[in-house]
Amino acid sequence: MPKRLLAPLPGLFYRRPSPEEAPFKQEGDAVAAGETIGLIEAMKSFFPVEAETAGKLARFLVQDGETVDADQAIAEME
Amino acid sequence: MIKVLKAGLETSIQDYPGRYGYWNQGFPPSGPMDSWSFRLANVLVGNLPGAAGLECQFLGPTLSFDADAVIAVTGADMRPALDGEPFPMWQSVAVRAGQTLALGAARVGGRAYIAVAGAFANEEKLGSRSTFNKAGVGGIDGHSIKAGQELPVAEGGGTPGLLVPNEHRPDIRTDRSWTIEVCAGPNDDWIDEAGKERFLNSAWTLSAKSDRTGFRLEGPEWTFTEKAYKKPKEHGSLPSNIIDQGYPMGAINLAGQTPIILVNDGPSMGGFINPYTVPSAAFWKLGQAKPGERLHFRLVSVAEAQHLAKEIAKRCVRENLVNA
Repeated sequence: MPKRLLAPLPGLFYRRPSPEEAPFKQEGDAVAAGETIGLIEAMKSFFPVEAETAGKLARFLVQDGETVDADQAIAEME
Repeated sequence: MIKVLKAGLETSIQDYPGRYGYWNQGFPPSGPMDSWSFRLANVLVGNLPGAAGLECQFLGPTLSFDADAVIAVTGADMRPALDGEPFPMWQSVAVRAGQTLALGAARVGGRAYIAVAGAFANEEKLGSRSTFNKAGVGGIDGHSIKAGQELPVAEGGGTPGLLVPNEHRPDIRTDRSWTIEVCAGPNDDWIDEAGKERFLNSAWTLSAKSDRTGFRLEGPEWTFTEKAYKKPKEHGSLPSNIIDQGYPMGAINLAGQTPIILVNDGPSMGGFINPYTVPSAAFWKLGQAKPGERLHFRLVSVAEAQHLAKEIAKRCVRENLVNA
């Protein structure tokens, strides 16, 4: 069972730090423990989605800009 | 005393109806956004319905109790846990000194409320304990709670084991779709018939750029009557500009083409039109809606809105509680 990264709170999920910048991570990238893989926007603020453990980001389960619920799986890690 | 271990996301002390009587000086009433859930939390622990409690937004706090207390958690489901065990919502529960209550992220709804018997005893500012974060007024030192703070609680009794039956709780939607009552005006005569039709028949998406000041909506275009164009230049250059006027709380404030519902911590005046107003009876729905959810608006008369508010108040009384 691959490990899944969950949304820490409900809001909008973004893969980039800002619309002009490159995504934090591509599928297949190595991720360090505590590294930010995306942001969730709620109440005019952005909250980082961080990897709990090091590994490889296998795939994203939500699109850039999509609405997420709390604890919704955002990405699969290997 | 209740110690804040984790603050959550802008968790704040609020009372109901909040800081009334200073709107003409720019002070919003503040208070809980979902005052239905808030009042029921207080009623559960034996407080007056408007006594000071905590509003938790999207991500709740972790609190430790240094004395025995009777508490209740209502509103959004943030999966509260007492010392790691699931904590029942919509009930009065006795907690013991040394226990820790932890709320997580909101699974259903957006805002949860915590009431404690005796109520929070922070200093009143302009007649209210409510926090107006943007101006640094009320609450503890004017702001949302912070980790490490100790929240003062007044002496209180409270009876554990009481429950709010389902029929007296607000129906917090799980389908991402809300029908919100609106009253026409004060500036509905600036919107043409097509614009009114689009407003009332479209699904509006709640933006993540929303907080206790304003709820920003995304949706179709607004179109205007002649009044919006044939006006003295002092009104401003946009069709939605008007010479500065007072705003009602709940105003759907049209900034260019972007409607923003002015909510509990909103501004009291400005230079945009307000074609519709959300009455206080529908504010609980705004408080429980999350970014990305759909809002549909239903036109009601002022009399109907007042009736709805009275119906909600009738539910928030001790006589409606049952034994858990």
